[in-house]
Amino acid sequence: MKTRGRIRSMFEKGGSLERLWPLLDAAETFLFRLPARTSGGAHIRDAYDLKRMMMIVVLALFPCMAFGTYNVGYQFYASAGIAAGHLDCLIKGLWVVVPLYAVTFAVGGFWEAFFALVRGEEINEGFFVTGTLIPLVMPPTIPLWQLALAVSFGVVLGKELFGGTGMNVFNPALVSRAFLFFAYPKSISGAGVWVLKGDRMVDAVSGATPLHLGIEPVGDIVPYLSSNGFDFWRMFSGLEPGSIGETSVIAILMGAALLLVTRVASWRIMLSVFAGGAAMALLCNAFAPSPASMLALPAHYHFVMGGFAFGAVFMATDPVSAAGTNAGKFIYGFLIGVLAVLVRTLNPAYPEGMMLAILFMNLFSPLIDYMVVRLNMRRRRLRAAG
Amino acid sequence: MELINIGIRAIFTENILLAYFLGMCSFLALSKKMSTSFGLGVAVIFVLSITAPVNWILHEYVLREGALAWLDPRMREVDLSFLVFISFIAVIAALVQVVEMAIEKFSSKLYSALGIYLPLITVNCAILGVSLFMVERRLTLAETAVFGVSSGIGWFMAIVSMAAIRWKLRYSNIPSAMRGLGITMLVTGLMAMAFMIFSGISLGH
Repeated sequence: MKTRGRIRSMFEKGGSLERLWPLLDAAETFLFRLPARTSGGAHIRDAYDLKRMMMIVVLALFPCMAFGTYNVGYQFYASAGIAAGHLDCLIKGLWVVVPLYAVTFAVGGFWEAFFALVRGEEINEGFFVTGTLIPLVMPPTIPLWQLALAVSFGVVLGKELFGGTGMNVFNPALVSRAFLFFAYPKSISGAGVWVLKGDRMVDAVSGATPLHLGIEPVGDIVPYLSSNGFDFWRMFSGLEPGSIGETSVIAILMGAALLLVTRVASWRIMLSVFAGGAAMALLCNAFAPSPASMLALPAHYHFVMGGFAFGAVFMATDPVSAAGTNAGKFIYGFLIGVLAVLVRTLNPAYPEGMMLAILFMNLFSPLIDYMVVRLNMRRRRLRAAG
Repeated sequence: MELINIGIRAIFTENILLAYFLGMCSFLALSKKMSTSFGLGVAVIFVLSITAPVNWILHEYVLREGALAWLDPRMREVDLSFLVFISFIAVIAALVQVVEMAIEKFSSKLYSALGIYLPLITVNCAILGVSLFMVERRLTLAETAVFGVSSGIGWFMAIVSMAAIRWKLRYSNIPSAMRGLGITMLVTGLMAMAFMIFSGISLGH
């Protein structure tokens, strides 16, 4: 205790290491209880704070993280034609996922600390969620230096320049991914990057995700997918190529349950993303020129393919970049679902649209909020007048 | 179908502001307040829907190479296309003035909403840009009309959403060097990235 006090005094105002105060502050919050107590009128008698909220999101991501790690190994051995045990798959997956996390947290943590030191603010927990999300939306083959660039772009331009956690307009994890998507499209799109490849490859394995197959189907779309190994339940369970965390709907649903029970994420957004996706898929079904077209894909297939479920549960519900009003959340979520399915079915340039759909609606969420607030004001004014 | 396609492209895929970065100055300077942005956006739609077809007619029957053949077959050789810039600008400026006077005379309500923004728009490069694109892309009169209106709608959407974002950013603790124009430029770039979602979409194939 005495040493801690002495160290503390070095960092406090007038101490020799005054400039590095945010670093000490971050370490202390992480390791100890804060010496500071709330003074004055705090009305919530609960230790609910930003940190706990963030930790719940990170906890909710654990199933995706664990399954994703396993799946990376599983896809590797499957593509190499080796019969491997569950443990082997997990270990192989760890070899890939741990470095991704190490780079993400080192680079992201560096920027977070850098901005806190320069601006003389506290280092906060905001980066934990972003940092946990970023590797989960990356393909397992992503080069580490590109990941580092993407994390820098997302954290600095997507968040820190807006003033840090809670003040950004766009979801920083998605800004990172979108940066890679447009700057290094070869590493994050196409059919070749979703499975880690060894020296040996079995000829029959393409490594494409179901969405890539969907671009030019041969025969009716649903039987075509399942003849390629992508039947509904396999995609639901998640043993398919894809970004690390996005494949398993079971794992995502476990996370969603935790987020909904603790009320960390908005059920309005989650529900309306799925509703929007379903509505758009039904509309597409009605206009599908032939049952072989991507337009004929039933709604529940859209939900289990690609990043739809992951985006709906973890990305769209980001309380900072989403709409804030209740009515706005419904509109925001619904349009995300509509746009994601629209891109999948009608935009030949991208097989998947979830990331850009969410970014696009991030852009319009302040406008939606503004309209909702204005309409509300007008309604109340009319009520007061009449 | 082709008309709808042109409309969708002008609003989303090739948004005049976010894909070509035309009309940036008024976009950056006047997106601070929602009411201003709204008025300016409506005024841009309004002006574009008039100037684009008028410029088309001017180009088709006066400026284009061989356009004057309807006057006299001997004028088939005349090519006035070097006058395109100056005459388009003149047409835009004159039309805006006439429209402003007409609105002032007939609808004072609309005038008070749009009035101050109309003269500003004369120098908005998006307006001239649309007229020049229509020449370059060899659009027909109907296509030009649709292209003009939808470019205006695209610009309107961009400035209104930017105003809402800046309304939200009032409470953000942005580094002092980035305040104002800096963060607006950054948001514009990210907006353009988000608008990439529509690139590649085209109907009727």
